[in-house]
Amino acid sequence: MTEDSKRVFEGKTIVVSGASSGIGRAIAVHLARQGAGLVLIGRDQARLEDTARQASAQVSRIVQLDLTEVTAIMPAVKETVAVVGRLYGLCHAAGTVDTLPLSATGPEKLQALMHVNYLAGMELARSVTRRDLLQEEGGSVLFISSIYSLIGKPGQIAYSGSKGAVTAGARAMAIELARRNIRVNVLSPGMVRTEMTERALAGLSGQQVQALKDMHPLGFGSPDDVAHAAGFLLSPESKWITGANLVADGGCSAQ
Amino acid sequence: MTQSEAVAWIAQIFEMAPDQLTPDTHRDNVPAWDSLGILTLMASLDSDFGIVLTDEDIQAVKTVGDILDVMRRHGTFTSTSS
Repeated sequence: MTEDSKRVFEGKTIVVSGASSGIGRAIAVHLARQGAGLVLIGRDQARLEDTARQASAQVSRIVQLDLTEVTAIMPAVKETVAVVGRLYGLCHAAGTVDTLPLSATGPEKLQALMHVNYLAGMELARSVTRRDLLQEEGGSVLFISSIYSLIGKPGQIAYSGSKGAVTAGARAMAIELARRNIRVNVLSPGMVRTEMTERALAGLSGQQVQALKDMHPLGFGSPDDVAHAAGFLLSPESKWITGANLVADGGCSAQ
Repeated sequence: MTQSEAVAWIAQIFEMAPDQLTPDTHRDNVPAWDSLGILTLMASLDSDFGIVLTDEDIQAVKTVGDILDVMRRHGTFTSTSS
């Protein structure tokens, strides 16, 4: 990496949802190290402030927001731009997972996952890419999806569906926004060790956890592994890449 | 709704500041007023005011003032100025 490429986001402000923990926090810190100004979105003010401390002085604004309240997203983004100026991009890293068999996957469970994983992501993108809110020269949008949008596993019907919706929606969005030089990509991680996935793993037997490990030839990933890939897809260094789904899964889906 | 409020509503649809639009503003000078922008306008007129544009309306609408005429015709506002 050259000295210049370390500051590829200088002068650029990026909205990061789910920035209070896990992958979202790691992405925010990584982007800050590369010079990005940050707008951190999450539910927990104290944890967002902790992310801001880790990202040093690069945080332009903290927005405490429950993304299940999708109608609050557009006003919050408008208010943010009025304070920090126009945006360069978005990383929708907020997400929720619920491992349930089909018999327990009622409409309310489906809706809960769709709200945060899909609806909130689309509404954030709709807000950030408005002509009066985004930089005129274009920008970059990244959705954090999952390899479960590509492969099937028992108990992941609602989660896979929500992430599949993100992946498919992002592809169409990429085509629609290309003429404004706005790139839209998806990053699909395999199993990454975060607080959220630790909770999910806690509900599995030792044998099931081992089976999951065995699925990943390079082992489970870390939030930083995802953050580095996210930084590339968000940066101008990937300016010819749009509509892509980059799989970062330690070889899981290559088998 | 006054005419200036209607212009502000149109500006919101096309993602512009209200002071960038006047009734004389032609669609060629509104970047977001392209084929997809017309779909946004149609959907928003329907959802916000219950106005369903006809094919003739769509063909005829070329300026902000033309949109205002459609809104006025459907009783969205009656005044001719703010």
